[in-house]
Amino acid sequence: MSGKPSTLSVIWVLVERDLRTLVKSPFILINRTIFFLIQLFVFAALVSKLATALGFNYFDFYSVGAVVSTITSIAFIIGEDLFEEEELGLLDYLLSLPFGHSLFVIGRALGGAVRGLIYVTPMMILVAYVDGYFSPVGVAGSLAIIFVLATGISGLSITLAMMIRNANRFDIVIALAELATVRVSAAIYPLVYMPKVLQPIASYSPVTSASDLVRAIVLPGYTAGAYETVVLLLFVGIFFGLGSAFLFRKIEGGRFE
Amino acid sequence: MIVFKSVSKSFKGFLAVKDVTCEIHDQEIFGLLGPNGAGKTTLIMTMATVYRPTKGEVIVEGHSASAEPGTVKSLIGISFQDPKYDRILSAREILEWHGKVTGVEKPVRDKRIDEVLGKFGLTAEARKRTWTLSGGTKKKIENAKVFVQRPKIAVFDEPTAYLDVPSRLMVWDMIDELRDEGSTVLLATNMMDEADRMSDRVGIMNKGEMAQVGEPAGLKGSLKGRDVIEMTLDLVIPELTSEVSKVEEVKEARFEGDTLKIVLSNGRGLLPYLINVVSAKGGKVQSVNLKEPSLEDVFLYYTGMKLS
Repeated sequence: MSGKPSTLSVIWVLVERDLRTLVKSPFILINRTIFFLIQLFVFAALVSKLATALGFNYFDFYSVGAVVSTITSIAFIIGEDLFEEEELGLLDYLLSLPFGHSLFVIGRALGGAVRGLIYVTPMMILVAYVDGYFSPVGVAGSLAIIFVLATGISGLSITLAMMIRNANRFDIVIALAELATVRVSAAIYPLVYMPKVLQPIASYSPVTSASDLVRAIVLPGYTAGAYETVVLLLFVGIFFGLGSAFLFRKIEGGRFE
Repeated sequence: MIVFKSVSKSFKGFLAVKDVTCEIHDQEIFGLLGPNGAGKTTLIMTMATVYRPTKGEVIVEGHSASAEPGTVKSLIGISFQDPKYDRILSAREILEWHGKVTGVEKPVRDKRIDEVLGKFGLTAEARKRTWTLSGGTKKKIENAKVFVQRPKIAVFDEPTAYLDVPSRLMVWDMIDELRDEGSTVLLATNMMDEADRMSDRVGIMNKGEMAQVGEPAGLKGSLKGRDVIEMTLDLVIPELTSEVSKVEEVKEARFEGDTLKIVLSNGRGLLPYLINVVSAKGGKVQSVNLKEPSLEDVFLYYTGMKLS
């Protein structure tokens, strides 16, 4: 007879499922990597030349933001996965397995985050190298910050999926959410150059916090600390809580709508 | 034991399951029959905590499916009607993952996976992505999940759909084996021969309601006056019809050519007596055909359906 697995083993098995499917889809990994390299070595290098006149090294600034915005985009995918699983009837199977709904959300959010981390780890190492930063501990710390951001974004994506419950509407909302979290943040341009009205919003963005924290580690002359850490952790706490304890707990099998 | 207590389930006003009360005993194979849309899958999903009952309660091995879903889910394994797994993965990966997530220890899991893949003849295809496999093979993998898990409550929804005859027989044997090891089996099927062969008891659902529950033999016997005896005689003896009709259980007797056709209850028990009646009137019986109600007749009777 089978038994009831422990909480930790359930979380691990859920993460493992995301990893198993990831390694079966190398095309997506290759595609994202090529996209990142073009953004970094074509777009950022070009804009950097324009910005040099202002005495600002845009390439270094952008390189960190590119990693953070890439993981943000990847972490958002988890919500689309839920709709796909619902459409294929896989959600009925997953909900019939011996773990609670909250654990399911935690496992999925962590799975999405680990999947994202695997995507961006080579990118982060490359960025540290081109930015002239060689401390493995610092790179590991940067990856930890990125991982925390990714769990929060995955939680946000799951929360939105549960609130919207319609694949087409979700696609539109998620595109806007991704645009808002990345563009209204200090990931790819400094806050001071943003429109004044958006600056306060961007300063509360978890993407800004994660970007600033990583820059403070990797790049000389950048600082970040308690404020950014609190914003990031609050964001993760809220969307993990909303997604798992509040919204997903109510979900049933069959169709979301 | 599984107890359904006045269970109803509605979806946006549509009542898919209506006030179902029924018990499924330990270690029995319970056949759940019903036309498409009768509510079989909804009832199963309610038991498995995937759906919450709108009204009533399901108790599985003494645990409420609503109050203790985690415990109930740890007792149940489901083979879904349509295979439900990540089709990008191989059969071995799917079974490994399913075994792991349902708490089957690694040495046991590995052994069972090898056994089940071997029995289904899937060893050679075990590492192929399942989306490349045939419908029948996909269905075998869906069933294999439960055979690797070996849960206390095993649910099979149309387990032999898409399967060839040897595979069907294999699945039936494996389900029997599972029950013999201590599992209770809930078998949802549209195949009457499957339900008749496998089930200790059957429940017939229709339009969301449990229309009838009982042992197949008992249900067939409950259809009074539906046996048919056809006796081909050496000559037509018209008075035989009135003579035979004197027997209380006989509903109708008539000649069709040289064949005396008798519609009655308890045909098997009365057959020797009726042959004697024919002999006493000077007739010689050349052949006899006894047709008793099948589970299909029972199904059609209780669902109010007709064969087209």
